[in-house]
Amino acid sequence: MKQDSIITKITKNTYLRFVLFGLIISMIPVLTGGGILKTSWLGIIGGTIIYTIAALGLNLLLGYSGLISLGTAGFMGLGAYISAYVTGNLGLPWEVGILAAVIIPVIFGILIGLASLRMEGLYLGIVTLCVAEVLRKTFDELEPLTGGFSGKSAEYPTLLGIFKLNQGTTFVLLCVVLVLMMILTYHLANGQLGRALNAMRGSNVAAQAMGVSLLKYRLIAFALATGYASLAGALYAHFVKFVYPSTWNLPLSLVILAIVVIGGLRSIYGTFIGALIVYALPDLVLKRIPIIGDINGLSYVFSGVLIILVVLFYPGGCVKVFSDVKLLLQKLFKRKVKKNV
Amino acid sequence: MSEQAILTPSLNENEILRVENLSMHFGGLKAVEKLSFSINEHEIFGLIGPNGAGKTTVFNCITQFYKPSEGRVLFLTKQGLTENLVGQKVHNIIRKGLVRTFQNVELVSELSLLDNVLVGGHIDFKSSGFSQALRLPKARKEEKAMREKAERVLNFMGIDHMKDALAGGQPYGVRKKVEMARTLMCEPKLIILDEPAAGLNDVETQQLAETIREVRDTYNCTILLVEHDMRLVMGICDRICAISFGKFLACDTPERIQRNSLVQEAYLGEKEG
Amino acid sequence: MGGCYLSTFLQLFLRSFETGAIYALATLGIIIVFRTNLVINFAQGVMGMFGAYIVTIIFMKTGMPLLLAILLGIVAAICIGIIVDFVVIRRTKKVGGSGKEIITLGMMMVFLGIAPMVFGVDPLRLPKIIETGAFTLDKANLSYNSLLNIVIGLSLTIGLFLLLQKTKLGLAIRTTASNERTARMLGIPTKKVTLFAWAFAMVLGTLSGVLIAPSTSVTVNLMDSIQVNAFIACVLGGFQTFYGPVIGAYILAIANNLLSYYVSSVWGTQILYLLVIIFIVIKPVGLIGKRVVKKV
Repeated sequence: MKQDSIITKITKNTYLRFVLFGLIISMIPVLTGGGILKTSWLGIIGGTIIYTIAALGLNLLLGYSGLISLGTAGFMGLGAYISAYVTGNLGLPWEVGILAAVIIPVIFGILIGLASLRMEGLYLGIVTLCVAEVLRKTFDELEPLTGGFSGKSAEYPTLLGIFKLNQGTTFVLLCVVLVLMMILTYHLANGQLGRALNAMRGSNVAAQAMGVSLLKYRLIAFALATGYASLAGALYAHFVKFVYPSTWNLPLSLVILAIVVIGGLRSIYGTFIGALIVYALPDLVLKRIPIIGDINGLSYVFSGVLIILVVLFYPGGCVKVFSDVKLLLQKLFKRKVKKNV
Repeated sequence: MSEQAILTPSLNENEILRVENLSMHFGGLKAVEKLSFSINEHEIFGLIGPNGAGKTTVFNCITQFYKPSEGRVLFLTKQGLTENLVGQKVHNIIRKGLVRTFQNVELVSELSLLDNVLVGGHIDFKSSGFSQALRLPKARKEEKAMREKAERVLNFMGIDHMKDALAGGQPYGVRKKVEMARTLMCEPKLIILDEPAAGLNDVETQQLAETIREVRDTYNCTILLVEHDMRLVMGICDRICAISFGKFLACDTPERIQRNSLVQEAYLGEKEG
Repeated sequence: MGGCYLSTFLQLFLRSFETGAIYALATLGIIIVFRTNLVINFAQGVMGMFGAYIVTIIFMKTGMPLLLAILLGIVAAICIGIIVDFVVIRRTKKVGGSGKEIITLGMMMVFLGIAPMVFGVDPLRLPKIIETGAFTLDKANLSYNSLLNIVIGLSLTIGLFLLLQKTKLGLAIRTTASNERTARMLGIPTKKVTLFAWAFAMVLGTLSGVLIAPSTSVTVNLMDSIQVNAFIACVLGGFQTFYGPVIGAYILAIANNLLSYYVSSVWGTQILYLLVIIFIVIKPVGLIGKRVVKKV
């Protein structure tokens, strides 16, 4: 019997796959430092990672529970400001900042969920739109806490109070957090919670008959989405080092939604692919194309059209392209083998 | 009737479910009117009636998908208590030991057969969300045990060889079996089947009859069958309740129901089976 | 002095009526699409913004009278509504769950992207339809333009209701809104009905954009606050009727102005949204909503 090679062993184990993925991406600071990649790649891929984390949360909500939230950007902003405030104004350690940045918005999110999830799921979309508006206005107005229009600054994280990070090492931290969140999502999605959410989406009535409380699980999904978003926002604050209120607007929420839909609903790697396509691709490729690249709003049109095309014609999302190509190759390979025999 | 009898719900010795004066009004429409019947433990009980008789409404009222306008539904729960199901939350009904199937076979197409059956085990997962999120050993053990249980149930229904296939692409007959398997995960006391023979041919209906008997015998439960197919109902039910226009007609053994003039009258002009 | 307070209040009330009338137009756009297509069109606001931009550009570039530019804008709006229906909406029949809403969100992104591409990023100015003049009502004054806005808003709303109740098209719309499949089986041209709904929604959006534009500037964010308020009006008034959300729109406008003036100009809107959320918790079906019992 043939022994699996080491590579095969690693790729078959889900956890090792995630770790390998993380290791590959964390090579980027090395590559940009060595001049192999442009330095802008660091910021762009860093942004991609941050968006992926927020999108993973939205994927749990939309992909598994079928609920739309338009408040992702608002919660990201909330996380960003809280973390910046706790580490900056209160001088508390970075770890406390992250904890506060996740816990406070989640409590807030649960309250909102309690209000809006008692009825049709459509209402959640509207209420989150509302909340996002309120948050955006609050970011503008609450100057003592948020710095208003001029924004708020933050620093690269200091781990355990000792290790001061720089841009490159903060990037590695982002990779680590991403891998951890991917593993967490994997656990949640493939266990009792994931099945309950799937059941809710697949058939409300069957889920209820099997003991799934719709309100409870919708609330959990929404709380998770909020938590992921605020974590992403907090990481943003410490990577980009500056938080402006204008960032956290509806188009950003739409971008995160586009990432989930285009990348692939209910797919973890798909979410990263979606972020690459929606966020990184425009910056890295589209903007470099002469003439067309300079047009404002091109990336939105690109993403918007992709969303429509994916929903109408390719609901599996771009990640499905890989499995479809694999199937196609397997079919072709089988035919060739048959011919030769 | 003394106040005591009204306040404390009580069932007779063999009864597992008693529907008392059940009424359901949709605005001005009286879908079900003062219906009463009871089911004994380990019976295979049938609920029949011509089209539009209100069978589905009764059944939704029992399972609390509709809130009845009037009446009580007394049930002898898994925990040994007699409770009135009316007013309980829909998702709590399964915890009492009462589970149902759906005429439209509500499965999750994107999940495998095994995962669909596992949904039926939802209430039996005891490990906390935290433990599951981190896949702690306790959660892992529980997941493994539940998966094995689901496989056993699929095996009982004869479809465990396709446990990893997606539910979406399966033929109707297989999907019905999966749904049945799903109800068995919680070891229910009462299973309500919503037109299980719908869409099945003669051979499949025969198999279904055998399966229902096997389920009742193996899992030691009671079965309430809401059905159109007369041959199935007459063939396997111990007792049958017939309704028409939401009102009680008769409740008796199959032979006597068939001879009952009221029932015959209600079905005049209706096609059989 | 009592008279002073009363006239301030009257002033606020009249102003709110104007805002409410404009909100009502946008709200109608959402509810007419929802009732006929069973989808919440999240792109309603940006579609209106787009239409308002068209009017502004036509007005600025050709120098023709404003009313004519608006008319042409309406024609353009109808065309865009038709295109949207043909190219996108027709194909969404088989899309389930939130898919349709996601498509409207995709459309929103497309419009948000095309607008700066076609119209540039600088804010533009659109003048009022009636530039000057006002009349006073006991120390409260109402500009002729505001009065016109109120009239336009009210007449369109009433006009739509009359259309719905008294005409054959209206009957077709109400039937489709009630049950699309049955309507089709009854021989009602549901495709034409949905086409009409989208075109009309686009027109309503454009009009509300054009009416609000003079008080701010024409930018990509023109319809942002109207959009949010329109959705809340629908939530408040209930999605089951046509008139419920309209009432909701007026209530929102009046409450917003009163709260902003008497309580807090900065936090007034936030407080209002909070109150709406609390109201929804108490009465999930909205003001006029009817509870729909789902068939299992």
